[in-house]
Amino acid sequence: MRTAPPDWADALLRFFVTPENFENVSGDLLEEYCDSVLPGSGQRRADRWYVRQVLGFVWRTTGLWAFLFGGAFVARTALDWLVPPVTFDLRSTVSTALGVAILLVASARTAWRSGSFLTGSIAGLTIAALGAVVSIGGAAALLAFRHDPATMLAIRHSGGLDEVFLLPLLLMLPGVLVGTVGGMIGAAMKRAVMA
Amino acid sequence: MAEVLGIFEQAVLLALLRLREEAYGRAIRREVEARLARDVSAGAVHATLERLERKGLVVSDLGSGTPIRAGRPRRFYRLKPDGLRVLNQTRATVDSLWRGLKWPLKGFA
Repeated sequence: MRTAPPDWADALLRFFVTPENFENVSGDLLEEYCDSVLPGSGQRRADRWYVRQVLGFVWRTTGLWAFLFGGAFVARTALDWLVPPVTFDLRSTVSTALGVAILLVASARTAWRSGSFLTGSIAGLTIAALGAVVSIGGAAALLAFRHDPATMLAIRHSGGLDEVFLLPLLLMLPGVLVGTVGGMIGAAMKRAVMA
Repeated sequence: MAEVLGIFEQAVLLALLRLREEAYGRAIRREVEARLARDVSAGAVHATLERLERKGLVVSDLGSGTPIRAGRPRRFYRLKPDGLRVLNQTRATVDSLWRGLKWPLKGFA
């Protein structure tokens, strides 16, 4: 029987804790896992506890950025539905630039902390995934409040409901790519400063 | 203006005072959980400790590992004089807020 937490969770933790704190943080979690959680709750529950603790570190690093990312998407959606423009060019440019900027800054910052560009990729994916939940939830709430004929016409002209509910999920791949670029920038900046 | 700490920061700093030489991550988390009577994540405690260390209120040193930790070291935290000063300021501010009021409060709700 396995008496250690899942390896993948430990590997994930490494990306979201500073290198100087990884050993003591993972040691604290391992000590509690082996000493009290596993004997009292069994393997499955203990693993869940460990994963929840690791996800707590991920959430603390990416949660705010995900809300910003998703919030920007919801704001753009609300504008398109409630104040429809003649052309979408300017709004598309601004919202795309804003989304990329949020992902770049967030992933560079997390990579700076961990010293690994891979942290940027994982942060990009996490922010895009959590942001998708915020975006889809926000758009659904907006639709629940405003579904009069004028709004429904504006929705059709702005790309339809498919775009609103599918696009956030499709943004996860670009999220990883932009996150990787941000991660490279953050890790390179840290190396340059430390050199 | 006096620097006032939040409840969670106070809980963590007071845990360091109570635990003395035994103040490392897991022990601090358990002490804070017991005092606040709620679940506290390891992430919340470590983020707070990192912030307090950046602010110069606590200092830390790595200890030795143990077999149950697969040899991974414990990081022990201690209060710095500035940490003690800010805790005292916080207590004085809270006392000042409550001065003249009978506790528990009655008749205003």
